[in-house]
Amino acid sequence: MTANMHTSGFTSELQLNIGSIRTLLGGSADLVVREMIVARERRAALLYLDGMTDVQSIQEFVISPLMERIESEELSLNLLAGQVIQAGEFHYATSLEEGVDQILSGCVLVMLDGEGAGLLLSMAKWDDRGVDESKTQPVVRGPQHAFTEKIRTNTTLVRRRVKDMRLRLTNFRVGKLTKTDVSIMYLEGIADPQLVQQLSGSINNIQKNELLEGEFLEEILLENKQFSIFPRFYNSDRPDTIAAGIMEGRVAIFIDGTPFVLLAPTLFVDFIDAAEDYYQPFVYSSAIRILRYLALFISLFVPSIYVALTTFHQDMIPTQLLLSIAGQREGVPFPAFVEAMLMEVTFEILREAGIRMPRTIGQAVSIVGTLVIGQAAVEAGIVSAAMVIVVAVTAISSFTIPAYNMSVPIRLSRFVFICIAASFGIYGVSILIFLLVIHLCNLQSFGTPYFSPLAPYRKRMMKDALLRFPYRDSNNS
Amino acid sequence: MARYLRMGILIFLSILLLLPVVGCWSRKELNQLSIVLALGIDQAGEEYEVSVQFIDPSSMTRNRSSNRSPSSVFSERGTTIFEALRKITTKASRRMYVAHIRFIVFDEQTARKGIRESLDFLFRDHEVRPDFYMAVAKNCKAKDIIGFVSKSEVLPGMDMFKSLKTSEKVWSPTSAMNVKELMIKFSEDGVDPVLTGLSLIGNIERGKTADNAKNPISYGEFKYEGIGVFKEDRLVGWLDENDSRAFSYITNRISSSVGPVKCPGSDKWISIELTDSKVKVIPKIKDHKPVIRLNVKVESNISEVQCNLDISDPKEFKKLEESTKESLERILKNGINTVKNYGADIYGFGEAFHRRYPKQWHAWKDHWDEQFKDNLTCELEIEYQLNRTGKTINPFTEKIKEGR
Repeated sequence: MTANMHTSGFTSELQLNIGSIRTLLGGSADLVVREMIVARERRAALLYLDGMTDVQSIQEFVISPLMERIESEELSLNLLAGQVIQAGEFHYATSLEEGVDQILSGCVLVMLDGEGAGLLLSMAKWDDRGVDESKTQPVVRGPQHAFTEKIRTNTTLVRRRVKDMRLRLTNFRVGKLTKTDVSIMYLEGIADPQLVQQLSGSINNIQKNELLEGEFLEEILLENKQFSIFPRFYNSDRPDTIAAGIMEGRVAIFIDGTPFVLLAPTLFVDFIDAAEDYYQPFVYSSAIRILRYLALFISLFVPSIYVALTTFHQDMIPTQLLLSIAGQREGVPFPAFVEAMLMEVTFEILREAGIRMPRTIGQAVSIVGTLVIGQAAVEAGIVSAAMVIVVAVTAISSFTIPAYNMSVPIRLSRFVFICIAASFGIYGVSILIFLLVIHLCNLQSFGTPYFSPLAPYRKRMMKDALLRFPYRDSNNS
Repeated sequence: MARYLRMGILIFLSILLLLPVVGCWSRKELNQLSIVLALGIDQAGEEYEVSVQFIDPSSMTRNRSSNRSPSSVFSERGTTIFEALRKITTKASRRMYVAHIRFIVFDEQTARKGIRESLDFLFRDHEVRPDFYMAVAKNCKAKDIIGFVSKSEVLPGMDMFKSLKTSEKVWSPTSAMNVKELMIKFSEDGVDPVLTGLSLIGNIERGKTADNAKNPISYGEFKYEGIGVFKEDRLVGWLDENDSRAFSYITNRISSSVGPVKCPGSDKWISIELTDSKVKVIPKIKDHKPVIRLNVKVESNISEVQCNLDISDPKEFKKLEESTKESLERILKNGINTVKNYGADIYGFGEAFHRRYPKQWHAWKDHWDEQFKDNLTCELEIEYQLNRTGKTINPFTEKIKEGR
């Protein structure tokens, strides 16, 4: 009997099975094959990948019991699973492919000579980062836990916060090559069942080779939806944020290998909320939110308004200020638009460099950066001091947006605004604002209007939108 | 998806094409503009001579050179203001930007001839903001004032603008009139406008050099002086300090002021700081003649006492109050009489009749000036209140004298 690669069922010949698996894995160096003799005469074998399994547990709960004398004459896989092996989770593998798949996910395959099947034991364990502090959305007060790369750790972090029996967890596998574990988590009865169904269906239907991070999934799921530069999935590495989202009736999507968990549907206002808002007194949180909205407006409009005012509407600037700006502009060789673009692009380059470069040379960049878009540029007469202030204020404001994936579209549209301001003035800027608001109002995130509760206006939801109302006023159903 | 993408690209391209076609339509960089702060209009024969004071922007920066004057003046003649302004571009590299005009000066000749036609351009032009102040040059040319170097601010135009605003707030004889108020007065029946007078004193020629600002005591100074009474749009005469004060009282333009009052029974002075003043104008008709009743309510503080007066004594205090009241009454009466002689109703009494007696007003309307001049009588009722005496009650000089 030879192992057929296509049907590839187990044969009763142990050596043949081992050979087949070795061939399927191409003789990988990390495949461990441990052969042994159990119950005096039956040959058996354990197969697993080194580094993906808990070697100590295998030794203690699988190998030791097998090596001890087994009394029964009727030795079978059933008997091993039922009486001998002390592993928690197991199931039978009927095909070699399945066996190999599971080995690749960290299972141990137990085979017995003369049995046309294998026993799969879940004993996956690999080195992983522990639960750390959130680096992307830090808070001063509040839980410091952050998700890790391991999906089970992540779902557990959320489950520990939502101890309700209605919490549902469904698993998927996405990616022909990566076979990434994807889970969706939601509260039965609170989350929209249609949305859950739609998401499960879409995730099941993904026919791609790889899935390494959530963005890939986002793009696939939004493939047939409206195009927009605004994100329609919220992502966070904070278990408390995700738990809160689930309790509001959203669906969380966990992806193995990334600490960022997706949340859908999302609203525009979610991106301006920070986790901290819920851990500080409501007066303070509301004030900070207003500040954040102000910063949002500054980072979106200020450079364009500056360009528009200084090139078209000088009559709108107070006389003293105009004289002061005119004085600074004196000797600057570029039009205000070029000046603005120059500074904005320089700042973006600096920001990008700050993220990309190795930590150790960070200081060098910040020193050079301060000089370039600061004193030196002004003193050389290339840009005016007023423009440096505008760009600096804009830049700092854009950092106050808590969600990084929202600050990107804001930064991008800023450039469009500057271009329009330079050619059409305030008139153009206001038209563009209209277009932007129309687009945002038109947008949907999985059936929920993106700009609600502002438009359409939802009074109940307004309690946690622009301001955070006190908890005593929120209705607990 | 592909369809959306195609459409998106098309829209993007069409916007891109739009930018150079209609974009930058009225773009003007700051470096291409000369910001005009003040404008002077002189009569030169049949033509106007327009002088503009514009700012050298580099004078507003920290590293300005001390050799260049922060402001410069160009003048040009033309039959209309706009023509003259455009002619100036033959002398300057930059466009004269008139949106930020703070201040316009007419010379007396123009003012007597009528300012309406020269103001028309400023009302009409979209670029000009109607928030500038105006003055009439007294005893000098408007061009002299525009070219004058002032001391307290680097920019002379700004200096005159701010000085007028400050002075109006704390010194009742000054009356700042911005162009919007003037427009309203032009368009209303039964009220005539006024403009403040502005004169240069001292050495005018040296006052126009940079030296004027170099020494602690300058060669020449500008000064707001008196109020010019206009009939329609023509200057007909001037009010002196006390008459100007009366104007400010009656038109309720006072927010604060200081006035001297004679000590009762002495030739020394007490100065009174006005804190609140309200005048109610009540028109009446008696024997088919217009009568105006003024209800004046004034509150003030004592701010300076030169004589030996025992203010702590209620009787003396009462006397002082009486005497201040009389002095105010005198000022108001004189003020009204002077203006009546000019026949220009700058107080807006006609407007008050228009509101109260519209029918009667229509009969008077066409020759209101004569009614105002010949038939109008005035009744005064003054309610005067002296409130506080300042930190000291009696002047401490009293003690010194006693000690001696």
